[in-house]
Amino acid sequence: MVIVQADDFDASALNARLRERTAGQAGAIVSFTGYVRDYAENEATTSLYLEHYPGMCEREITQLCEQAATRWDILDSLVVHRVGELGLGEQIVFVAVAGVHRGQAFQACEFIIDALKTRAPFWKRETLDDGRRFWVQQAGADARKTASWAVGTPVGTPVEPSPS
Amino acid sequence: MARGSAIKVLYFAQVAEIVGLREEDWALPAATTVAQWLPELEARYPQLAPMARLQLAVNQTHATPDSPIQPGDEVAVFEPVTGG
Repeated sequence: MVIVQADDFDASALNARLRERTAGQAGAIVSFTGYVRDYAENEATTSLYLEHYPGMCEREITQLCEQAATRWDILDSLVVHRVGELGLGEQIVFVAVAGVHRGQAFQACEFIIDALKTRAPFWKRETLDDGRRFWVQQAGADARKTASWAVGTPVGTPVEPSPS
Repeated sequence: MARGSAIKVLYFAQVAEIVGLREEDWALPAATTVAQWLPELEARYPQLAPMARLQLAVNQTHATPDSPIQPGDEVAVFEPVTGG
């Protein structure tokens, strides 16, 4: 199940929902919650705005969950991602995976969040205390981490502009 | 989806700010590829040239330079994603 929403979420309620969906089968549920942090070094952040591509976001994340289910022995997964205006420290993303055993669920959960960061079409715009705004740039480390799962090129091959 | 011999082009995040639009219909009389269409985009919006890494999606799927673009398609232009 994949949900993209502006509203905050209740992580323990989401865990409980996944537990109900896999009752009697799951021996483990592994979950990850991401929080808004200060993306600019040495500059205080006041808020973050998340833009997204409706439709493609849900498609991409659903495909990642399907890939995880093919690759690891898991029972079910649940992803919630927020969009819109978010304050420092607020919850931004939740990923939970249910499995018979913990090892497969841990790996699938880490894969989903890593791959989401380089494939799901969300963009963060940070507003600093002095009012300046900038779009957060994708971290090279994130792309390398996704590539380390050997899921192919992280987000298609970046298209270099022709020299002017 | 754009009708007839056109595509619908969507712009996101910083690309939308630079272009000054979120979407537009774009004439496309015949099928092409991402690599062939990109110079048209850069000719209409030379201000995109300084952006080091543009990415495209065709019909909501990440595209590569040889991905086909056909009339009626939805083409999205954006920078590398930063969710999560």
